[in-house]
Amino acid sequence: MFDKKHIPHLLMVFPFLALFAVFFLYPIASGFVYSFYDWNATTTSRFVGLANYQRIIHSRDFSKAMWNLGTYIVITVPVGIAAAFCLALLVDSFKGFWQNFFRGIFFMPVVLPMFLAATIWRWIYTPNIGLLNTIRGLFGLPSVQFLNDTSTMLYSLIAVDVWVSAGFNMVIILAGMKNIPKDYYEAARLDGASKLQEIVYITIPMLYPVLFFVTTYGVISALQVFDKPWLLTGSSFSQYGGRQNALLFPVMDMMGRGFGELKFGQAAAYGFILTIVIVAVTAVMFALRKKGSQP
Amino acid sequence: MTTDALVSSATPRYAMDLSIWTVLKWIVAICVAIVAVFPIVWMVNVVFAEPGIPVSINPRLLPTSFGAGIAKINTILSETGYLHAYYISITYSLLTIAGVLIIGSMAAFEFALFEFPGKRPTFAVVMLSLMVPTAVTLIPTYLLTASFGWLNTMQGLVVPGLASAFGLFMLIQFMRTIPREMIEAARLDGASHFQIYRHIALPMSRNALVTLAIITFMQTWGNFIWPLIVAPSPQMYTVGQVVGLFNAPFSHVTVDIVMAANLLAALPPLIFFLLFQRKIVEGIAMSGSKG
Repeated sequence: MFDKKHIPHLLMVFPFLALFAVFFLYPIASGFVYSFYDWNATTTSRFVGLANYQRIIHSRDFSKAMWNLGTYIVITVPVGIAAAFCLALLVDSFKGFWQNFFRGIFFMPVVLPMFLAATIWRWIYTPNIGLLNTIRGLFGLPSVQFLNDTSTMLYSLIAVDVWVSAGFNMVIILAGMKNIPKDYYEAARLDGASKLQEIVYITIPMLYPVLFFVTTYGVISALQVFDKPWLLTGSSFSQYGGRQNALLFPVMDMMGRGFGELKFGQAAAYGFILTIVIVAVTAVMFALRKKGSQP
Repeated sequence: MTTDALVSSATPRYAMDLSIWTVLKWIVAICVAIVAVFPIVWMVNVVFAEPGIPVSINPRLLPTSFGAGIAKINTILSETGYLHAYYISITYSLLTIAGVLIIGSMAAFEFALFEFPGKRPTFAVVMLSLMVPTAVTLIPTYLLTASFGWLNTMQGLVVPGLASAFGLFMLIQFMRTIPREMIEAARLDGASHFQIYRHIALPMSRNALVTLAIITFMQTWGNFIWPLIVAPSPQMYTVGQVVGLFNAPFSHVTVDIVMAANLLAALPPLIFFLLFQRKIVEGIAMSGSKG
């Protein structure tokens, strides 16, 4: 099986596989071990079994973070993808220069690093002097504390999220649209189909795999949302999550336990709980997809 | 031909409909474009505005004072550690790009074109890792990096991110299209294994390498969470961390100084985007539709 002739091949893959093993496989394994220890980097560690997991699941922060996450995903993913789909249709209806122009402009927010998008929006939301409140003022509307009023906080985050992600998803959906054979539309037009009928009966079904990808990807990244709410609510380990933890999310909670309270065992356990949630959600989505795609 | 004939025979009514739709389409597109760009334009306007004027009270379309903006940027560059953060971020990005491209392309070359013991299982494990959320590895990778004594060092920032499964996947997809005959021909001409990689595989996957480099740049420049935990000392602040500090709730800075800092952080990716728009968009579309 092993042969001298394999040596050059193995030498070439070695750097990648070595780094992969050290900085991916080993951390996963060691994290799994840490998650069973009461370990805070200074005192000696103590085996505590499943206590870390229990402590997290029964904590109020965890249920709050999970509730926020659920609400956030249920709104942000469908709205974001519907917006991206409409943008893709809009851009697709332009030709040549203008198509590239609008695609570029709509994509612009994606180019900004996430931390920047969040900081710009933080100031746009500022009470009294912020851009949004200034505009409200022009119409005689009272100032809103977008990031400090528990009834608006989540929607403020969702607006930033849709603003950023719509352009990203639009590009993927647009690429999918280009792959739909033109004959279908021509045939439909000959049969007297309206534009709306073309979209419902040709574009959407043909885009099914792309839309599925965008949805799955959107859900998985939304499950791990961190930068945006972190920066919108204070950006420090002592202050995050906002008023009444209305913008507390699981990864933030994990980071807070790890680096704020130095409970690394709990933080490691948190990572595994999140992974289980993510794997479960993804599995459900794939199961639903199989059902849906079979006639 | 037939469709053309149909359209022209129905010209009067059809043309009317068309023009209404066209106008509507343009109005919607321009509105969306304003929403997409306005926060960025607003940022630029806040920076290039006369000092002392309460900028956000009067959102305007054009900057009022170029000199004032330059003065604010000067203040930031001279009175804060911003230039140093810039240096850190650029070094971090360049080293990551170089590492990801070299290490990834070497491995992709083998995975795409050759057989070696253990290829299939290792490939499966690497591809599975694409499914694993970063949240799980974050804390243990931090602890490992700390145990190497790499906190607040450049290697601590760069090395853990080099084995990019996504980059490998992208390069493999591309290198699979390299014709085997070319490799055989080169081998018959006496080229060594490494020479084949260097003089055939690399030049032929130039497009994929450029796209991966750009995507890696955007990712490292925008990476917030890893520098935040692994390089917490001011000596190693990246641009993202400085922007985060400027934004802290009780820091006594005014909005125009914050926006000047933001603008400086936005410039490299924006310039990159203007230069490589097509490549960036194609790269994302490709990673999306094949994923």
